Parts: sequence; structure tokens; C-alpha cells
Amino acid sequence: MSLAAYTEGFEQFAAGLPAGQRSARREHYERFLKAGFPTPKIEEWHYTDLAPLGERRFSPAAEGGAVPTAALLAGADRLVYVNGKLDQAHSTAAARHGENPLLTDGDSVTALNAAFATGGLSLRLSRNERLPRPLQVLTVGVAGNAPAMVHQRHRIELGENAEATVLFQFLGQGAERLTSHVVEVELAPGARLTLYRVQDEHADATLLTRIDATLRRDSRLETVAVDCGAGLVRHDFNVALAEPGAEVALAGLYQPAPGGHVDNQTRIVHAAPHCRSREQFKGIIDAKAKAIFVGKVIVQPGAQKTDSEQRVANLLLSRKAEVNAKPELEIYADDVKCAHGATVGQLDDKALEYLRSRGIAADAARALLLRAFGAEVLDQLAIPALRDRLAVRMGLAVEDIFEETVGETAE
Amino acid sequence: MATQPQDIQELMRRREYSAGFITSIESETIAPGLSEDVVRMISARKQEPEWLLDFRLKAYRRWLKMEQPKWAHVHYPQIDYQAISYYSQPKSHKDGPKSLDEVDPKLLETYKKLGIPLKEQEMLAGVAMDVVFDSVSVATTFRKKLGEAGVIFCSISEAVREYPELVRKYMGSVVPFGDNFYAALNSAVFTDGSFVFIPKGVRCPMELSTYFRINERNTGQFERTLIVAEEGAYVSYLEGCTAPQRDENQLHAAVVELVALDDAQIKYSTVQNWYPGDEEGRGGIYNFVTKRADCRGRRSKVSWTQVETGSAITWKYPSCILRGDDSVGEFYSVALTHHRQQADTGTKMIHVGKNTRSTIVSKGISAGHGQQSYRGLVRVLESAENARNHTQCDSLLIGDQCGAHTFPYTEVRNPSARLEHEATTSKIAEDQLYYCRARGISEEEAVSMIVNGFCKEVFKELPMEFAVEAGKLLAVSLEGSVG
Repeated sequence: MSLAAYTEGFEQFAAGLPAGQRSARREHYERFLKAGFPTPKIEEWHYTDLAPLGERRFSPAAEGGAVPTAALLAGADRLVYVNGKLDQAHSTAAARHGENPLLTDGDSVTALNAAFATGGLSLRLSRNERLPRPLQVLTVGVAGNAPAMVHQRHRIELGENAEATVLFQFLGQGAERLTSHVVEVELAPGARLTLYRVQDEHADATLLTRIDATLRRDSRLETVAVDCGAGLVRHDFNVALAEPGAEVALAGLYQPAPGGHVDNQTRIVHAAPHCRSREQFKGIIDAKAKAIFVGKVIVQPGAQKTDSEQRVANLLLSRKAEVNAKPELEIYADDVKCAHGATVGQLDDKALEYLRSRGIAADAARALLLRAFGAEVLDQLAIPALRDRLAVRMGLAVEDIFEETVGETAE
Repeated sequence: MATQPQDIQELMRRREYSAGFITSIESETIAPGLSEDVVRMISARKQEPEWLLDFRLKAYRRWLKMEQPKWAHVHYPQIDYQAISYYSQPKSHKDGPKSLDEVDPKLLETYKKLGIPLKEQEMLAGVAMDVVFDSVSVATTFRKKLGEAGVIFCSISEAVREYPELVRKYMGSVVPFGDNFYAALNSAVFTDGSFVFIPKGVRCPMELSTYFRINERNTGQFERTLIVAEEGAYVSYLEGCTAPQRDENQLHAAVVELVALDDAQIKYSTVQNWYPGDEEGRGGIYNFVTKRADCRGRRSKVSWTQVETGSAITWKYPSCILRGDDSVGEFYSVALTHHRQQADTGTKMIHVGKNTRSTIVSKGISAGHGQQSYRGLVRVLESAENARNHTQCDSLLIGDQCGAHTFPYTEVRNPSARLEHEATTSKIAEDQLYYCRARGISEEEAVSMIVNGFCKEVFKELPMEFAVEAGKLLAVSLEGSVG
């Protein structure tokens, strides 16, 4: 792995930084350089190989581009980034943008992010403060003159009993790109955060996201993540239940487009007693797509009365598709309730037959069952406009299913 | 010894044994250390053919390039492979304790609890025995009966001499010499083990057990077992026994290879109860075993059942390669860790053929400071049409200092596969205990009862007398875990 192109890019980038920041950034970069891009030899990257990125040339993105206005949500406050740059014109909550400290440390990908990171969402709510509307953080990647590289840091800090709903949306259009996002979340006692993460990347793109959350007493984090792009996508989700009563619920639906690769990795640490975690991930894997779910729940010594459940279900629909699942448990306390389950299967033939016998065309019956499968996660998205749009995008919208049926019978 | 070449003589020296509960036993052992010379020497001592020496040397050279695996969820100090002696003369009877009086009373107490007859106790403890010991005659009668059926059951060394073609054909065909670090080490320096061959259409007339093979007593730390079942053959093989075994070896790296041809069935049951070390985790066996079955034939079936209660560290994944269409693989396991024991165990089911099925039932019990991991892989290849797997792994925690972990890998490449994985972790419920106590059952008995119930699904797969003993063994192993 040469990484020379990255070093070149870093020198350029560092030259543009305030002098005080350079040495810290260089440390991060050196760390990345030493470790290089992860390969499948590293257990956490068993199913996703980033080594080929080492041979590619990306430069920190310079130019902006047009914002796909259709993606803008009505009824939400917005922060819009195009190739990592804040788009003032479309951002209604520009005040929420800011430089964030580089707190999260981790593998080489996080180090790369820290070396190049630019600002992002900087949401700080004080005690009892509530966001009146969902906050949409739309990051758009557009084609430029050269393969671009965008690294951003976001931070969400909720004070006691504060409440917010934040949507991270990643849209990619054309061209080779490397994007990484690190989101740090701190929830004070009693805080409530609903976090949505939606990804629709382009086939030539690599998207790496990481969310690190620390939950204090009685706080709650609820997330719904939807993946439907064709790019090489990797999500890391690290949640620390640091104080009693904290609760996390992660839900995910992944349906990579043909050629897509989606790797979801969750890690929930029960560090205190009386915490609760729920995970529900569902995958629809078709046509040359590859999906991975690795979930880890760690119950630390003393974290008694832990209540944890992990469910992953996959529908494997094509001969060229591939699915890998690994729901892990590491338990160091005895008075706990921990369960996990994983399945891989197909649509139920009997259910299909039943629908056919009721006069529903084969394609529609299939779509209907897929819809039912995906709905369990999708319906948890409490922004109807977005939910409906995603259902259409993923071929899971009921209206579409029946329109097609009508069309077929008419022929 | 007079027939030994000079250089081998030089490699030998008198060495004092001090480990375990048996004091000052002397035996003839080669100097610690591993080199090509040692490998050649082992091969020469056993008067092996050229191809086997080749196999050993290839394995040794590969091993030199390998690294000790670190991925397992176990912790132990670095093993110095040059400090181990790789060949030990089969000990003569006079080296053992002269009578049971010389054996650790703690061990005898355990034997008593397990209800093991006196004569057997002597054998287990390695007491020098007279030739008239029951098992010897039992063994000979067995041999005769097996011979009549055409079944070959002998030591691997004997098989190399008597049936070289068979051994050459199958050895290393399931676990290649460079398969993993410990398998490579075993392939280079294995000293003995068992060989079983069931010819076409034969149903082995009795359950085969290493226990009845007198010459099996000191196979040492690098044991190699090869079982071949030809078309339509059936065999049930029992390994180990329920009583703690006297053993002075620290590292055990065995290899077991099973081959099942068309319609053949192999049932392999293990009760492993090596010395687990004391309450503080001093001593004990490192049990690093590679066990794999190749279901080569159509409709072949291999069933692994294991009860693992011993060893300080267990690293073991009995696996099935389901190559033949309609072949079946099963894995039933009870693993118990108490005090400072650590176990990282599970299975791999590789589905290659069409309509292949596998079942995994794993029960882990962790008490004291024990750490227990289930690590399993279910892989469905593109060619495995209609593959099925059901996996269930349950953990039971006793005490708040122990750990139970699950690492199940699922990899699917065929859209007609159906896989299910379920896992639960729990502790013994207060109400269950209370119910038993209210009926006059002591707490210890109640725990043992509940644990036995927890393991029932696996015990029922064991041959009858084994199942009873396994139940008792669990009770003994769990002693002191409550209250």
C-alpha cells in the first residue's frame, strides 16, 4: 500500500490549517499511515476490504455543486453540505454548523477522518431544551474534476431532559468518492435523541460512517438506519450505556442496490446495571449485492439486570448475492437477560401461493411480502414524507405494487 | 535401547517428572526442544515409511512459518515450544504409583463420587497393573469380535505398519498438514492415536472406545485419530472417560479426522475431563484440538457430541464438511467452566452439497471465574442448494464473576438456504431454586438438577452409560459453585 497520494493530499490540507492545529492533525495522520487501510485480516473488517483504497488517488474536495432540491424535507430544519462544504443557501439552520473537537479515537479509518476532518453539525441543547422540528443534515456528493475525499465530524450534545430528532442523509451522485463521517453523541440524564441515518450512495463511492454515543442515566437513544445505495458502505455504531436506566434501540433496514456492499457493525456496551438495549436489523439482499451485519453486545462486570435483545433477519433473493451475519454476546455478569437471533431465508412459498390464489400477480405478491418484511423497520421512521419516499425508492410502496398489478391485468 | 542409533541416544536423557499429584516418577524422554532432527528421530523410532516422514517434515516446515492463533477468547502465557519434550517412552508399569495409597486423596474422592470401580480407579490413576486386569481380557475379546466383522481398530502406529495404503490414502485428507498452527504441530510430531476402519456395509458390532484400548493409556500430548467409514458403514466411537485423568502434559494438541463415504454414519462422543488446574488457575491442561469430519459421500452423517468439563483452556471446534449431497452434520455440546477455566469451543458446518442439513446445540455453563465462549461458523456455499441449519446456543451463568460469550458466524452464498440461529443467556432463576428448596432438596442438589435439565438435550445424544456418568460429572465439577 503506497498511500503516497494521501500524504500529498494531507500536506496540502495541513498547509491550509491554522498553525496551532497542524501538529495534532499530523499525529492523527501518522497513526493512519502506520496502520493503513484495514484489510480482512483484522477481525472487525473480516467482510469488508478497504485495502484497494490505498492505491487510489483522492484529493480533499474543493468545489461544491448543485443541491438536489427534491431531497430537501419540508417541515424540517436543514443543514446542507455539498462535497463537505456548507451550502448556505439551502441551510435553514446554518447556526448549527461548527468545528468540532476530535474526541473519538479508533481504528485507522477514524484516524484518517481525524486528520482531514472539517466541521459539521454541532448541536448543543441545554437542559430541557427541545428541537421543535426534525433537523435534516443532508450531505451530498457530486462529481468534480478529480475523485474527491470528504471527511466530516459531527457532534450532538443533549443536556438533561433535552430532546431532538436528527436525520443524517447521505446522497451520492456520480464519480469516484471517499467519504467518512464521525458523529459523536453525548446524552445527559433523561435526554432523548432520535437519530435517523439514510444512505443512497452511488456505485463508485465509498462511504464510511461511525456513530459513537454515550448515554447517561435514564437517557434514551433511538435510531433507524436505512441503506439502499450501490456503493461500498460501512457503518460503525458504538453505544456505551454508561449509567443505570439508559436505553438504546437500534433498527436497520438494508437493501443494497445491485453491486452494493453494506456492512453494519454495532457494538453496545452495558457498563451499568438496569440498562436496556434492543437491536432489530433486516436485510433484503438481491442481485450481486453483499450485506454484512455484525452486532456485539458486551455486558461488563457488575452490569446486573441488563436486558438485551438482538434480532437480525435476512432475505437472500439471488444466487449472486451474499449475506454474512454475526450477532455476538460477551457477558461478564450473571443476572442478565440476553438473547439474540439470526436468520437467513427466502420469501415464504405458502404466503406467495396464498396471495396468488387471491388473484394477486406473482410480482405483486412478492413485492407485498417484501413490503411487509421491510415495514417493520421502515415504519419506525417518524418522518412520513421521508418514509414514503424511501418506500418508493426501495420498491416497497404498496401503492406502486398495486398499480403494477392493475397494469398487468389490463394488458 | 541398544538398537538406537547413536545420535538418537544423545537426544535422550533422564528427566525428572514433578508435575501433578504424582511425585518423582522417572521416565525416558528426549530433551526438550523441536527441530527437524527431533521430527526425524520420532519417525525413525516408530520405523515409519518415507512418505510419513515427508508428511511430518512438510508439516514442521509449515509450522515454522505459522503464528500461534490469538483470536480465541482465552488468555494464557506464551507457550515455549522449545521447552516441551516431544517424545516420551511409553512408561513402564513400574514408573506409576505402586498403589492407590500413593494417589492424591482428592482425586480418589472424586472417583468415589463418580462411582468408579476400584480396578478402574487404579487404571485411571496410572497405577501399575497386573496383566489380569479385567479390561485386558475385555479388550482381547473385543478385538476378536471386531476382526470377525472386518473392522480395524488399532493404534495409528500399528495401522501405519499393517495397513499403510489405507492410512496413506486418508491421513491428512480432512485436516491437511498445514491446516492451522496446532494441527501442523501435531502433524509434525504426533506420537500415537487410534485408527478405525469400517468396511463397506458393516455396522460396527459394538461401541468403540479408547477406554478399552490398554495401549491407549499414554498416547501423550500429540494424539492423532483417523476414522474411516466406507459406504453404508456405521460406527459409534467414544473418546475419553468421565473420571479426571492423571496427566502430566501441559499442552495437548490432538487431531481427529473422520471420513464418511456414501450412506456412512459416524457418531463421535467425547467426554473430556483433563486436569482443569486448581481453584486459583494454577496448572491444568491446554487442550488445543482440531477435529473435523468430511462427509464425502451422499447421505452420509456425522454426529459430534461432546461434554467438556476439564482442561484449563479448551480450544476446540469439531466441524463437518458436508460435501456429499443430502449429508447431515450434527454438533451437540455441553461445556462447563469453573474456577479459572476458559473454554472457546463450538463448531463449523460447511455446506457444499445439495440438501445438506446441520444442527448445532450448544450448552455452556459458566461458574466461579470461568470464561466460556461459543464460536461457530455456518457457511453455505453457492453449490449448496436447499441447505438447512438450525443453531441453538444457550448459556447458563452461575455467580457474578464468570463470563459467557457467543460468536456465531453465518455466511450464506445460496438463496435457497434456510438458517436459524438462537441464543439465550440466563442464570438459575430464584423461583426454580426456591421450588426445589421448598421440597426439601438441598441447594447444591437443586443446582445440579437444574443444570442437568439444561443439558438434557445434549445428554440424550450420548450413549446411555456415558450420559449417566456425564450427569454425575457435572455435579462434581460444579461443587462449591453455590452458597
